[in-house]
Amino acid sequence: MTKTPTSSTFAMSRRALLLASGAGLAASVLPFGPLKAQQSGTLAMCVTPEPNAMCAAFNTASPVTVVSGKMLEGLLSYDFDVSPTPALATAWEVAEDGLSITFTLREGVMWHDGQPFTSADVQYSIMEILKQHHPRGRSTLASVTAVETPDAHTAILRLSQPAPALMYALSGWESPMLPKHVYEGTDVLQNPANNAPVGTGPFVFQTWERGSHIILTANPNYWGEGEPKLERLVIRIITDPSARAAALDAGELHLAGDGPIPVNQVQRFMDSPDFQVDTRGTEMNNSLDMIHTNLRNEHLAKLEVRQALMHAMNREAMLSVVYYGLAELLTGPIPETLPNFYTADVPSYDYNPDRANELLDAAGYARGADGMRFSLRLIAPTVGDTYDRMGQFLKQNFRDVGVDLELISADIPTFIRSVFGEYDYDLTLYPGSVTADPTIGLQRFWWSKAASQGTPFVNSTGYESAEMDQILEEASVEPDPEARRDLFVRFQQLAMTDLPILPVARPIYVTIAAANVENFVPGPDGIRAPYGSLAFTG
Amino acid sequence: MDRVKSLASAILRDWMLLLGLLLLATVFFMAATAPFFFPQPPDTMMGPPLQWPGQYPGAPLGTDGLGRNILAGLFYGAQISLLVGFASVTVAMVFGILVGAFAGYYGGWIDNLLMRVTELFQTIPQFMLAIVVVAVLGPSIQVIIFSLAVVSWPAIARLVRGEFMVLREKAYVQGCIVVGMSDRRIIFTQILPNAMSGVTVMSTIMIATAILMESALSFLGFGDPNVTTWGTMIGMGKNNLRDAWYIMTIPGIALLLTALALNLVGDGLNDYLNPRLRSQRGQ
Repeated sequence: MTKTPTSSTFAMSRRALLLASGAGLAASVLPFGPLKAQQSGTLAMCVTPEPNAMCAAFNTASPVTVVSGKMLEGLLSYDFDVSPTPALATAWEVAEDGLSITFTLREGVMWHDGQPFTSADVQYSIMEILKQHHPRGRSTLASVTAVETPDAHTAILRLSQPAPALMYALSGWESPMLPKHVYEGTDVLQNPANNAPVGTGPFVFQTWERGSHIILTANPNYWGEGEPKLERLVIRIITDPSARAAALDAGELHLAGDGPIPVNQVQRFMDSPDFQVDTRGTEMNNSLDMIHTNLRNEHLAKLEVRQALMHAMNREAMLSVVYYGLAELLTGPIPETLPNFYTADVPSYDYNPDRANELLDAAGYARGADGMRFSLRLIAPTVGDTYDRMGQFLKQNFRDVGVDLELISADIPTFIRSVFGEYDYDLTLYPGSVTADPTIGLQRFWWSKAASQGTPFVNSTGYESAEMDQILEEASVEPDPEARRDLFVRFQQLAMTDLPILPVARPIYVTIAAANVENFVPGPDGIRAPYGSLAFTG
Repeated sequence: MDRVKSLASAILRDWMLLLGLLLLATVFFMAATAPFFFPQPPDTMMGPPLQWPGQYPGAPLGTDGLGRNILAGLFYGAQISLLVGFASVTVAMVFGILVGAFAGYYGGWIDNLLMRVTELFQTIPQFMLAIVVVAVLGPSIQVIIFSLAVVSWPAIARLVRGEFMVLREKAYVQGCIVVGMSDRRIIFTQILPNAMSGVTVMSTIMIATAILMESALSFLGFGDPNVTTWGTMIGMGKNNLRDAWYIMTIPGIALLLTALALNLVGDGLNDYLNPRLRSQRGQ
């Protein structure tokens, strides 16, 4: 092994491959052709779109959480019913009064650089990083006043008021633990470890070729017994959904998640013996497609207009034409996948163009010579063809009731600037995550105090209701599950009465893997799992 | 023997010109009669989705993934293709001719300055520049026409400049100068008509290029989502390539034939306007 020319990569033995990667040549021997699992122990998966950072403590964009979750771990992990299971914490206890949580930390855990993981890291991560810089952490950890560290393996969170949602926000991809010795005394936002994380997870960062791929290698000192089972994880960046389907077909990808391929091709993969398709793995995420109105618009400010738009949407037909059946209609802002909070007892709006026309007539909008009453702009980010089709579909539905819809598709920075920076939009459509708890994921869209011009993915509608604010604020600190459920029932009823946001559907995002891959949806976080148990069978 | 051969080739060329004109006339016919044959807008979901050609009576060429009539899309798409092609090339011609004429006629520092500016545009790949313009100004049909004009004018300016540099040395131009004709009159009434043959031929080819570029922009998602173009039809159909390839193929063929027609017409015009070939034909 004096030379490792790239062209001979596929013929190289596993031993040679390991030698080569040990010599720091991994990037030049990246196998992009069909891989033989047994030969290389290398699994290729993809993220979409390309992450713009590697560490989810500062950036919660969906692809960042996928990559970050392999290297950085949290205190807890979760079961499919979203109950906490051990991760970096092996035991935990919430005090009777709900004002403190005691975590017993796992012993013998090492950071990737060989330093031991201790309670000081937990204290530093929560108080100095997540509470200060994490986009959602500022609200989910708002009531944490201190983290006490009586010994190296005990961390006690002190709370100013009960925080029932907190226990659902401690996964590795939501609230990652970071090494104090790497971050302390530095400008944390500019720390080089943000793009080359030092964590405790089963995989260690190796390289990030922007626009092409990210390579993670197995952590030899990982605490999980016999884990990770893979030697290497190649995370490829393929931006086009059809190209991802082709890469799966060609065997260049073994695994892809978050609804990676055009929805009309999913059935083909379900029928194929070469692939496994799993619809689980979104229980922690619960991404919802909702139309956010802009109440600053003179037409949309009228409740009748918003009700009419709900009645104008043929959502049943949308399910088959836009989503190809891979979605569930929403009755309100909380999906049925969260049975602890969901209620069907809300004002409902069936597909009824006649009713919509009546409402618009009553609101004083007569049809003009061209049959139109007024026009609205719908801005959607260019994140997938589902939203293109949805825009075209809504244009039809709204035209039937005399509302002319102008479609604007914008790249993500433009979309964020228009909608959240300048409030320059009429209607907007984008996926928003409920997560496992409505306080974490939903409050931001209806709570008037969450509105903050320039902050993306919060209340942009201009909706302000004292009653709504009160319900949400009470629910965020209510320790009794029954009382909390009642508050969220009232939330759903009020949200569907006032309609600042028009719920459409919960898309079902599939995860697709080659037939010989196992444990690719190990928990409710799907491809965001650390993947210590991910392996090839046989 | 030579005469027979040249006659045959002339007829063959004429035959191709004829075909080009016929195809182009068909496209114009489709654009003009679209509202007559299809009173409803082309993005109307008029039937069940994914109907193959011949399967659904209301849509002879089938429906796309949203149940829109592909034939109606073809007719309305012809309007946009012609609009984009002719409008962008007209703008590019006006600007390109002005720049080229002044640079070629006056020479010196004016020529230097104007040519450095055209080089600035020519060094950036055309399609990338068009994407940048559309991305910055936002996708709408006016912006797309503007972006295609921006990338097309330098080639015309270069061509016109070359013609002017040659023609301004001709005796009849020198004569005009001697009799005291104004520069403006010399440029527009004396030199320009003699430089137009090359520009005309080039512009037909450029219309074809502009139509193809508009489709490419739409395909990549930089099209105006509120109008139906052949490019958006192809772009929307790409995810159905496996199960319903006709959605992409039908507008693709329309695009191919239109570009072919414009190229045939361009070739034919070239033959007619090129004096050397004309004299051959006249024998």
